[in-house]
Amino acid sequence: MQPREKSHSHPGMTLKEKEKYIENFRFPFCDDSVKYEKVAKIGQGTFGEVFKAKEKTNPKKLVAMKKVLMENEKEGFPITALREIRILQRLKHENVVMLIEICHKRACQQNKCLSTFYLVFEFCEHDLAGLLSNVNVKFNLGEIKKVMQQLLNGLYYIHSNKILHRDMKAANVLITKNGVLKLADFGLARAFSANKNGQPNRFTNRVVTLWYRPPELLLGERNYGPPVDLWGAGCIMAEMWTRSPIMQGNTEQQQLTLISQLCGSITPAVWPGVEHLELYKQMDLPQQQKRKVKDRLKPYLKDAYACDLLDKLLVLDPSKRADADTALNHDFFWTDPMPCDLGKMLAQHSQSMFEFLAPPRRSRPHHTMANQRPTTSAIQDGGYQDRVF
Amino acid sequence: MPCWYYDKKELRNTPSSLDNIDYETEMRYRKEGARFIMDTAFKMDLGCNTKATGAVYFHRFYMFHSFRQFPRYVTACCCLFLAGKVEETPKKCRDIINTARGLLSDAKFSTFGEDPKEEVMTLERILLQTIKFDLQVEHPYRYLLRYAKCLVGDESKLEKMVQMAWTFVNDSLCTTLSLQWEPEIIAVALLYLAGKLSQFEVVDWVGRTNKHLRWWDMFVEDVTLDLLEDICHQVLDLYSQPVAEAPPDSPPLSPKLLLAAPSSSKTNGQEKEKVETPKIKPPATTVAPTLPEIPSYPYPPAFSTTSHAGTYLPQYANPTVAPPHIAAPPPGPPPPHMPAPPAVLYPPYVGPPPHYPPVVPPAPFYQPTPAAPPHRPFYPPPN
Repeated sequence: MQPREKSHSHPGMTLKEKEKYIENFRFPFCDDSVKYEKVAKIGQGTFGEVFKAKEKTNPKKLVAMKKVLMENEKEGFPITALREIRILQRLKHENVVMLIEICHKRACQQNKCLSTFYLVFEFCEHDLAGLLSNVNVKFNLGEIKKVMQQLLNGLYYIHSNKILHRDMKAANVLITKNGVLKLADFGLARAFSANKNGQPNRFTNRVVTLWYRPPELLLGERNYGPPVDLWGAGCIMAEMWTRSPIMQGNTEQQQLTLISQLCGSITPAVWPGVEHLELYKQMDLPQQQKRKVKDRLKPYLKDAYACDLLDKLLVLDPSKRADADTALNHDFFWTDPMPCDLGKMLAQHSQSMFEFLAPPRRSRPHHTMANQRPTTSAIQDGGYQDRVF
Repeated sequence: MPCWYYDKKELRNTPSSLDNIDYETEMRYRKEGARFIMDTAFKMDLGCNTKATGAVYFHRFYMFHSFRQFPRYVTACCCLFLAGKVEETPKKCRDIINTARGLLSDAKFSTFGEDPKEEVMTLERILLQTIKFDLQVEHPYRYLLRYAKCLVGDESKLEKMVQMAWTFVNDSLCTTLSLQWEPEIIAVALLYLAGKLSQFEVVDWVGRTNKHLRWWDMFVEDVTLDLLEDICHQVLDLYSQPVAEAPPDSPPLSPKLLLAAPSSSKTNGQEKEKVETPKIKPPATTVAPTLPEIPSYPYPPAFSTTSHAGTYLPQYANPTVAPPHIAAPPPGPPPPHMPAPPAVLYPPYVGPPPHYPPVVPPAPFYQPTPAAPPHRPFYPPPN
């Protein structure tokens, strides 16, 4: 035990004493991060850098370590990190990234006497954005089906467990070298429930990276649910063929315009109730647009079942959008060529592919944000996205 | 994940007890800390899950650290701060501290040091490591409602019983029950207690089969009456303890506070002096037991998820008057429907318990009973 003497002016311990106490206290369940050795930086998560690392005593064991940035936090340990931890502790599924443990780095001069925390995940060799940006990586139809099937399986699982991912995008879809897909980055995820006592949910709509953000969020809906993730799944599915995000807006207005141009005009006729959404009147919604999902994507997808499934995912009205279960039952997954293993194709590539490490991939160079994909806007809100004080 | 359940021996062998804080005092600190979490949560409009999560963090924290090292009100604030974030009801650290300042005496608040916010923030990192980021905590409330829905009987009586049980669950947060039993079992026990006290005998329930001897057999396995009674008594004992103001307050801290206050000499943590903390006297059991923390009627509606802390009045005008719903067990032998206490209720290390008053319905139910008779001590002291 600690010595019992303490300063007079301060009951308990001074901050300095406290830091020392923590340093000496062996937390029975929270390992020191020195057990891992960093290999390379592989990404930038919603609340900090991500490193590839290996366990010192077992160098074959690779992990991804996500640093929890505390320096700029006014409200202590970030609520986004707490959510991710809580949610991942609850979710155990082959298609959801596994959280192994949380490590801490002891307080030292370097980190201004603040202990730093790392979330330690199983390591996945690639992310989908990285794979798609590499022209040497070629997916055949069966392999694309396998990717989508695993992605929808993961979504089905998390939605059944009442979790919304809220940041679906190719970069957050990890794939191991054996071809197992894992949904990752639950930094914006949250639990949802059917409306309590008839009170609609008041979630923030400032989630999901702009290019993957569904129309209901862009129009200010706060009482949303699993369909927001299915829209993202649709965008990712199209991207499997187009190899770059299909709607790359720079502003929320422009994103809505792009959506209207692809999915048809947003009107109460195709989407009853849309007129009640907060931003419906404030946004400039192109009229007389025809729905061109199948026409525009047919040249890429070619497969009729693929076009049909995509058409059911990229539906404007969230209540009519296919859910994960419906999508998994679609003929796309149950007709030849059947979904097939990705391991063989991936075995041809010995290099890890992450979006973070890849050169920018752009299909339309006339956009202004040439070198940077947008990240999720809610990051800048500093943690408390869901509440207005 | 770590195991967060302890037996009674382990609960007596805590870092605080190794730090020369006797068991009764530690129990009092735990009670005061948890109660403070509930009061602060109530002031801030936080719901029952947030305060319960905060209280569970608090109890878990002190299974690894001593009350002498970490003043309880700072820890309590920190636990509530973290629970707010975890339960999606975040409150700003500063607001929690300001609320705490309003609830605490200057002497108690001085344990927050010169920079209270920094104090709480630093502690948050220790707290997170201590509880191994095991953030998700289940509470008896939801089980209480689930079980109650299956019970069959007079609607209004049933509702009264559930409301009473809900209050017992609130109060159970002041005990170490959350460190001993799963929330399902606590829910069963306190529903059982409320049934006894509100004279609601459960004779039928939805989903009853021949296998079910008691209604709770449907929900939990191998739960004996002895176990339920033990849990009930741990809650009831809260009401038989003397008022918090009576015993010398915060012994590990106050002597230093007293030393520091008049001289006001800053020591900035450099010079240290060994302070012999006087051994804490256990609360005098001879003091006429008053009931300081019993919620007063009306109970809040039990079937909502809103804050129920409202039932707690900080002070009672007349503490000697027992609240209406808890009455003293009548003198004499237990009524026939209650099983006689077994010869040895506790594992040998605690020693045989004294007379074990059975949980019985009070004679006139909603009639306030003047002055409760002395209860048995919380637990007999170890040999």
